[in-house]
Amino acid sequence: MTAPLILTQRMVDHRTDSHTISRYEASGGYDALRRALDMPPEDVAAAVKASNIRGRGGAGFPTGVKWGFLAPAYPRYLVINGDESEPGTFKDRQLLERDPHQLVEGVIISSVALGVHHAFIYIRGEYPRPARRVQRAIDEAYQKGYLGKDILGSGFDLDVTVHLGGGAYICGEETALLNSLEGRRGEPRIKPPFPAVEGLYAKPTIVNNVETISNVPWMILNGGEAYAHIGPEKSSGTRLFSLSGHLKKPGNYEIVMGMSWRELIYEVGGGIKDDRKLKCWIPGGASAPWFVPDLHLDVPVTIDDTGQHGSMLGSGAVVAMDESTNVVAAAHRIVRFFAHESCGQCTPCREGTTWLERMLWRIMNGHGRPMDLDMLLDVCDNISPGLRWPPAQTTICPLGPSAVSPIRSIMTHFRDEIEAMIPTAEGVASEVVRVG
Amino acid sequence: MSERQLDKIVASWSPANRERAATLLATYPEKRSAVMPLLYLAALEHGHVVDAAMHEVAELTGLTPAQVQSVASFYTMYKRADVGRYLISVCTSISCYLMGGDEVLAAIEDATRTLDGETSDDGVFSVEHVECIGACGGAPAVQVNYELVEGLHPDKALTMCQWLKKAKPEVVMGDELQEKFGDQISFDWGPAEPEGAVAPVPAFGPYGSAAAGEA
Amino acid sequence: MLAEQPDQVTIHIDGEPRQVPARELLIKAAEDTGTYIPRFCWHPRMKPVGMCRMCLVEVETPRGKMLTTSCTMPVNEGMVVDTQSDVVTKAQEGILEFLLINHPLDCPVCDRGGECPLQDQTMAYGPGESRFVEEKRHFEKPIEISDVVLLDRERCILCARCTRFSDEVSGDPLIEFIERGGNTQVLTFPDEPFASYFSGNTVQICPVGALTAKPYRFRARPWDLEAVESVSLVDTVHSKVSVQSSQNEIVRINGVDNDPTNHGWLSDKDRFIYEYLHGKERLSVPLIRKDYGLAEASWGDALDLVAERLGSFRGDAVAGLGGAQGTNEEAYAFSKFLRTCIVTPHVDAQMGDGLDPQLLAGVTNRATIDDVDRAAAILLWAGDLKEELPVLYLRVRRAARELGAKLVVVHPRRTGLDDVARHKITYRPGEGPDVLRKLAAGADGYADVLDTLSSGPVVAIVGRTGLSEDGRLAESVAAFVSGMDEARVLPIVRRANTYGALDMGLAPTLLPGRVAIDDAAGREALEAVWGPLPDGTGRGATEILQGLVDGELGALVLYGADPVRDHPDPTLARQALKSAEFVVSLDLFLSDSAAMADVVLPVEGFAETEGTATNLEGRVQKVNQLLPGPGQTRQAWTVLDELARRMGAQLGAQTVESLAKEIATVAPAYGGVTWDRLDWGDGRSGMRLPTEAGSQPLQYAPLDTGLLAGGERLALHYARVLFDDGVRNRMAPSLARLQPEPFVALHPRDAGAFAVSAGDVVRVVTEHGAVELPVRIDPTLAEGAAYVPANLAATAVLGAAPSVTIEPSAGDGG
Ligand SMILES: Cc1cc2nc3c(=O)[nH]c(=O)nc-3n(C[C@H](O)[C@H](O)[C@H](O)COP(=O)(O)O)c2cc1C
Ligand code: SF4
Ligand code: FES
Repeated sequence: MTAPLILTQRMVDHRTDSHTISRYEASGGYDALRRALDMPPEDVAAAVKASNIRGRGGAGFPTGVKWGFLAPAYPRYLVINGDESEPGTFKDRQLLERDPHQLVEGVIISSVALGVHHAFIYIRGEYPRPARRVQRAIDEAYQKGYLGKDILGSGFDLDVTVHLGGGAYICGEETALLNSLEGRRGEPRIKPPFPAVEGLYAKPTIVNNVETISNVPWMILNGGEAYAHIGPEKSSGTRLFSLSGHLKKPGNYEIVMGMSWRELIYEVGGGIKDDRKLKCWIPGGASAPWFVPDLHLDVPVTIDDTGQHGSMLGSGAVVAMDESTNVVAAAHRIVRFFAHESCGQCTPCREGTTWLERMLWRIMNGHGRPMDLDMLLDVCDNISPGLRWPPAQTTICPLGPSAVSPIRSIMTHFRDEIEAMIPTAEGVASEVVRVG
Repeated sequence: MSERQLDKIVASWSPANRERAATLLATYPEKRSAVMPLLYLAALEHGHVVDAAMHEVAELTGLTPAQVQSVASFYTMYKRADVGRYLISVCTSISCYLMGGDEVLAAIEDATRTLDGETSDDGVFSVEHVECIGACGGAPAVQVNYELVEGLHPDKALTMCQWLKKAKPEVVMGDELQEKFGDQISFDWGPAEPEGAVAPVPAFGPYGSAAAGEA
Repeated sequence: MLAEQPDQVTIHIDGEPRQVPARELLIKAAEDTGTYIPRFCWHPRMKPVGMCRMCLVEVETPRGKMLTTSCTMPVNEGMVVDTQSDVVTKAQEGILEFLLINHPLDCPVCDRGGECPLQDQTMAYGPGESRFVEEKRHFEKPIEISDVVLLDRERCILCARCTRFSDEVSGDPLIEFIERGGNTQVLTFPDEPFASYFSGNTVQICPVGALTAKPYRFRARPWDLEAVESVSLVDTVHSKVSVQSSQNEIVRINGVDNDPTNHGWLSDKDRFIYEYLHGKERLSVPLIRKDYGLAEASWGDALDLVAERLGSFRGDAVAGLGGAQGTNEEAYAFSKFLRTCIVTPHVDAQMGDGLDPQLLAGVTNRATIDDVDRAAAILLWAGDLKEELPVLYLRVRRAARELGAKLVVVHPRRTGLDDVARHKITYRPGEGPDVLRKLAAGADGYADVLDTLSSGPVVAIVGRTGLSEDGRLAESVAAFVSGMDEARVLPIVRRANTYGALDMGLAPTLLPGRVAIDDAAGREALEAVWGPLPDGTGRGATEILQGLVDGELGALVLYGADPVRDHPDPTLARQALKSAEFVVSLDLFLSDSAAMADVVLPVEGFAETEGTATNLEGRVQKVNQLLPGPGQTRQAWTVLDELARRMGAQLGAQTVESLAKEIATVAPAYGGVTWDRLDWGDGRSGMRLPTEAGSQPLQYAPLDTGLLAGGERLALHYARVLFDDGVRNRMAPSLARLQPEPFVALHPRDAGAFAVSAGDVVRVVTEHGAVELPVRIDPTLAEGAAYVPANLAATAVLGAAPSVTIEPSAGDGG
């Protein structure tokens, strides 16, 4: 079901040393780089474009198209987004920790294709171990002449710098990430201009996710078309899914997209712990609206099908909740996350997410008022007008609207459960609960 | 900036960290980019990011202390108050929450007699709840000085705290904690990891870290 | 239509077609064509950040209508915008509700109450009843973030105006956001106050009452303020201001956006100095010297005495100093009084601390302030603009930081603009001529500097880097730059209305209207109106003072002049006033000089008189009256007219405006300047001289003055700071508090040579006096020089001597 393995074959075959340069080289590592260095850069870029790969960071934007937007100015930069902080997501961590050279080779090849001479790998601060593994891989690559001046005698120079975050989910948003990399607060920038035109230090910059770039060496060795032929046309290639929550077999799985959610949850994920009933699941990270068994088990796991059904594959994080789950409390947990991670620069997100979190908390604690449910939705509507999918926003970036997803989800699928929390009849509690 | 100036500004720092600071300032196309790494170094030097440290970083990067404070306070990992020798960060985000993260937090608060967000009187522990740390497949997950333990259930969480208090490891090694107290993991960790954390600061070479024994 | 104006595009706002400049921000394009879109964070003089989200509108896109912030959206041809749709209205109401849920709503006790956009827009767009039952965010109530500014974080709506201003505009980012999300707040760094010369601007642009100014706090409510538009006479930039009073006391001065000059910004000196007008030491009664000192007298007695004494001297035995503190009309009256009634050629508005009057009044290729925006290179060889002309500093900073002008700074030590300068040349005072020679020759590693200066249109801002520097150096620099193509020169002096006073003929070598004293035709034309003029070129300030000491002059008329404090040679000034047989002073205060006079006449000052003033780029603007002067104070021109009558002459003026009309006729450069045009007409942002109706007979091309380098060691760098001990600063409590601690700065090597270190107290001695000062080590200072801030209470005694000696403190055992 998961053949071929593009990203994880090496770690499956070599459980103890997939991250070392000896193992990497022994298993064909850096051959792709040698080949790429012999190709005209535009052909390297063409291979990536031909693969039709769509970004694995969340937005699912076609990588080849993005590369095409790179403005003709120098210096230009490549920045790898390893901030992986979307609750439920831990796939990039495995790629960084278990096959850092695969990423580094992908970075070098991409830099060749893009004419970049200084690339950055931004890794969230809570990932020191993955960062150390990548740093060691980079050091080894320098020693072996895969990095630095005149790489493998090709005349091509490249430096790669690992930059640790400081603890801020929003830095996963590409423009916030660039601000953070510039030594600023991780506040998203107004787009346009897009990074490809004005990015790091206001120079043309490509930002790509760790997984996206880890695929590049394979594309060079096997050809972009080969990649394009794996899986459904608009969701080509394999993809790492992070399975967590009430599942028997949580973990990362590299699969070809197109299978149904039923297969993914019950076969790949082994079904629900203690054979309880599945109540609902998050198909693509905390920002994604929830799916429920009655409506969505047979929806194909592709970027577009998931989108058409009102959610997204996002970061590939699948969180399953069993029948025992208090969905209001679960939704509150996610809203709390977004309130905590809001950068605070724009009014609706800063004030709205905090307000939503406190309202939910109040309701959970038995101080809800009948009017609160419509009010919840109305405040959501002031952050994401029309409560449409894909969401409209009064905010600068999509974080604010992300906080709306869990609330809309429970109001749509479990309204009775939240209504049950509202003290009925006479004494409408309006006492205020302080949230610590 | 000249080495001499730099040495003047951070005279109190260890030679190793002074060297690291110089390298970091030279690594980026613009000095300002070194602010976050330098803040980690400063935290290593002063135990946490004290006001004096922000002055130092400001001078090194050509910013005002107000600007450095603005950056430092945006992120959760630059602690501006005292931190215990072992910073225990308990994930209570959605996946860990579903798998009992809150109970783990409670167990650790008891075991360390330290409430969420506080530092124990003996300065051994700081306890905090954190949002997702990317270990959802191994929920419930915890970090000690940012070194990961997965599948850490309440009972084991308690014994882990007792062990930390007794053994007082110089270097916190994720493998060791995982093996002693952990359970379900998100994925194979692969081979033993030589490096660990010597302080409640992410252990990463360029920002100062130590391999076991090196401490 | 479009063909003629390729830079115009047509967009549709709420169904109406509008012609607007291409690439203009939508919010501005809409406003300029009649549709006001609400906003909080956007400010026309700062980069948009799109943070408050209040200015949301719907714009048609291929994918349907899209909500977007009009403050970040540039217009393009055919853009279709809806500012009224239900979606937009609901979104805006939502934003307001979000802003209000944590707002204290303490409007009744808020300085902003009544002029608060948040309050107004809540009326206009806001929801009624609050649905928010949670507890509001709490912060410690107002905290002092500087000596003049208070911060109330509960009121703050986080629009980032203050933080952007101090980072982008004034270049001292001392106030910043801290924390994030719902805990975000603005704050300074512990023990690092918001000590900015421009802090008051943040109070003015704060859309709510989060930042308030101590001097204004609780002083008045917006609705009982009276206000006039005027210009600030604190320095020669003449920033446009709104002067606001309550019960005949000025309570606030705000900046007004005048495109050619201040862009709405002010220095804190412009903003808070008004306090001096209401100080208890303000003179309100005439004083006559008795053997026991100055005693109050009636105007009648005082005027009789002055007329009688002045009349007892030969005209050319009398001299006049001053006229730079008031309006052009007052300066004109002073000039006419001295030249036609006293009949003396010895007049000077400068105190020997300025530049050659003919250079200042007549320079041929004078630059405007706006020219710095268009310059490829700017040479700044003058005083530290941040200290001397703060608003010009902002304009040059912007040109260098935002508009790509390459800045070259030449100065004896660090200046406020060094951080945006392409090149910095530091030299020891006295060595200027050598530096200039090398620079002109591109020698000694100055080649790249010369390249920079020759890279296109160049503007040279020239002046005295310090008071002990010879003013002729500035002219030599001007001459050097004038030699390059597309070169413009801005010779700068600092004091109030100096340029206007010179234009009114208050200089030994000038006649009114930019006419040289030896210009026969000009002289004739003037005599036709004024009657016979004294012949010959008179004495300048220094020669006047010398003449009084030598007994060649007998009497002195001071008008708003304080030579004892302002002349580089305080010893000479003091002696002169002592030896003078008779001194009369028209002033607002008993300045050090007025205190030595025989008669002191209290006159009205800023906001108490109406008239015009001329700034450093030769821009005439209107100065307006808002309140009467205190006590028996009189307008200076009426006092001079009274004196003239008593001396059997007259100024021939019925009103100030009649003086203004006379200026327009006798002063060639001022032809066509009328109050009406300045108040209501095409002159609202000022009229540049010479006007199209006027002319500038004096065409002064700067020349190399042949000044030679002096070898002084230790050279004294005696330069002004913004908040010095000048009489007006001293009389304004809020500013008096800001006067810096005195010190002497030395280069590390010199400090080593003297074996002194930071903090040591040493005795600093010049030919004029000595004072004990703590040492500061300043690596940015030229070697071989000592820097002492000019005219502080403690340092004034030193005067602008060329050199100093450093001696061990008398205190030290020795
Ligand atoms: C709030 C927010 C958080 C994000 N977090 C991440 C992240 O942790 N990792 C990531 O690769 N992309 C993240 N993204 C998406 C990035 O903005 C960007 O689209 C992506 O890194 C581009 O790489 P890709 O095209 O290879 O996916 C986030 C976006 C938003 C709006
Ligand atoms: S939506 Fe939230 S996270 Fe995004 S820019 Fe606005 S405040 Fe920051
Ligand atoms: S005015 Fe446009 S977002 Fe604030």
